[in-house]
Amino acid sequence: MNENQSPSQPLEVPIGTPVYHQIVNFLYREARMLDELRLRDWGATLAEDLVYTAPIRQTRPISQSAASVVRTVKHFDDDYRSVMGRILRLTSTRSAWAEDPPSRTRRLVTNVLVDEGDQPGEYWVTSYLLITRSRFDFDQFDLISAERRDVLRRVGDSFQLARREILLDQAVLGTPNLAIFL
Amino acid sequence: MSSSTSPVLADGTLVTDLVNTATREVQMRTLSDPEIYELEMERIFGRIWVFLGHESEIPASGDFMVRDMGSDSVLVTRDKAGEVHVMLNVCPHRGMRISTLDAGNTQVHTCIYHGWAFRPNGEFLGAPVEKECMHGKIMTKQQLGLDRARVTLYGGLIFATWNHEGPSFEEFLGDAKWYYDILFKRSDRGMEVLGPPQRFTVRANWKAAGEQSAADGFHTLTLHRWLGEVGNYAKKGEGEGGGADLSPEMYGVEVSSPHGHALRCIDLGRKIRRLTGLDPDQLSVDQKLDVLPPAGMTRDMVEQLRNNLSDEQLQVLTSMPPQVGGIFPNVLFGFVYIPQGDGSVVGSMTMHAYVPKGPDKLEFVNWIFAEKDAPEALREKMRKQTTQLFGTSGMVEQDDSDTWPHMTLAAKGARGRRMTLKYQAVYETGKPEGWPGPGIVNEGFTKDDTQWHWWLHWRELMSAD
Repeated sequence: MNENQSPSQPLEVPIGTPVYHQIVNFLYREARMLDELRLRDWGATLAEDLVYTAPIRQTRPISQSAASVVRTVKHFDDDYRSVMGRILRLTSTRSAWAEDPPSRTRRLVTNVLVDEGDQPGEYWVTSYLLITRSRFDFDQFDLISAERRDVLRRVGDSFQLARREILLDQAVLGTPNLAIFL
Repeated sequence: MSSSTSPVLADGTLVTDLVNTATREVQMRTLSDPEIYELEMERIFGRIWVFLGHESEIPASGDFMVRDMGSDSVLVTRDKAGEVHVMLNVCPHRGMRISTLDAGNTQVHTCIYHGWAFRPNGEFLGAPVEKECMHGKIMTKQQLGLDRARVTLYGGLIFATWNHEGPSFEEFLGDAKWYYDILFKRSDRGMEVLGPPQRFTVRANWKAAGEQSAADGFHTLTLHRWLGEVGNYAKKGEGEGGGADLSPEMYGVEVSSPHGHALRCIDLGRKIRRLTGLDPDQLSVDQKLDVLPPAGMTRDMVEQLRNNLSDEQLQVLTSMPPQVGGIFPNVLFGFVYIPQGDGSVVGSMTMHAYVPKGPDKLEFVNWIFAEKDAPEALREKMRKQTTQLFGTSGMVEQDDSDTWPHMTLAAKGARGRRMTLKYQAVYETGKPEGWPGPGIVNEGFTKDDTQWHWWLHWRELMSAD
């Protein structure tokens, strides 16, 4: 995966166009699937060449702001096979304790912007994500805020997720693990 | 340890009495009591050697990073001569943090508050408008340098202590050094980090994680039971236990020390038998190294082992290598062999620090390593698979970090705090025949001894003047 976070010649897909609405629809339905723990359904929306990563963030001066995103060691460093392995652990064992009992989550997805990708039928989609994660009887929510940089690929009437980079906002995450998908 | 030197808590309890040596129990209030926490910051983290990272994180002159020694933030720097320094990240002038960053590079650390400036070795350079002498004339510039810790590098790992007159790092490691050398000093060029560490907050007392790092074997059976239910760990050959039975993995050798260090040495025999179809006892050290190089090494690299390790260390490395364990009090290492779908193995080299952030909060810091000589393809596999199993999103350790907060909450209850943690599964075996290594050594199914020795050392440090 290259580190360019936009297509080589960005061509905006304007808000309000049919494609834009289809993509927002995909993201909203994806958020609902994950919040409702329909993980196998979500797995079916992933492309087999998926690259799924979450860089580490560091506090750096504004003059070195690029260094605030670390793409060597990451929080997620996954591909299709490993994500499906995570789904298998969560859905097919009796011992995935980090999410059993499951967190109650809300994935709030906003600020969706779409560009045409380099390949026909591919779209570069950025969105803001705020997850509220409630566990057990804890009065405190874990908040996970991020920008997601996705590549969606048109397949028939819908899309597949071919790439997702999750740019978390915290240098030190305020949740004890990422046992949930972002 | 004489109880006369033991601190007395506000309710009259002697700190030594928190650990019952007759019944091998520890009072649970140790996991929540703010008074105990404050004592730990002084008596443990204020005195012992604390793990801060690896020198490959700051390779160049002027590189620095900000880390924690107990409850104090410190600057870890490299100067022009290449020497690594550790200093309190507090300006001697008015107490502002010298650096508010995670890492960077500079030859002059300037406090953003009043502009006092320091070299990477902590020397005070001066304050703005030199001729007006902001620092006054009562103290010399030499007296106004940053508060410096004593530093040692071990296999590139950076440790520091505020105890300038205390035990050497070698004394601190004690007998465990013989085993750590097998991990950290086995290759010619040493290891390096694959990037900065993952960091995340767990709402748990640091000792919930710390005591587990002292080679808790039993928790694997239940907390990590999924490893036997799906995936490559569940696929095993004849006689290795199938399905959810992880118990064959619980046999091996456990090493502990009066300094609280601990190692689980896990039998490689079954893996070697699966790879070769041969009885491992009939194979030479070289044959075993060829079949299954140490976690994180390739066949091309194994000849380096002879340059750095003794025959006795090689014997342990090829039969019963240390795979997981801790460095007292808050460090975990994992040098594990991750089974692959095709029957082969990918190594994982990781270290964690469980940084105390108050009686009920810790920061989990996870470094991923590779040998400097490891080829790029191996490094990438190690980075990915370590991330997928350990640390933030790791499918193994996400279950640990979800457990520790509950222990900490339980330790706050009026009755819960009087409950005890029990370490009553006691080895009755001793060293296996012909075992060449030092330390307190026992063979067989995992027991509680290593963690118990961890607590005994905690008690000793908490009671020492």
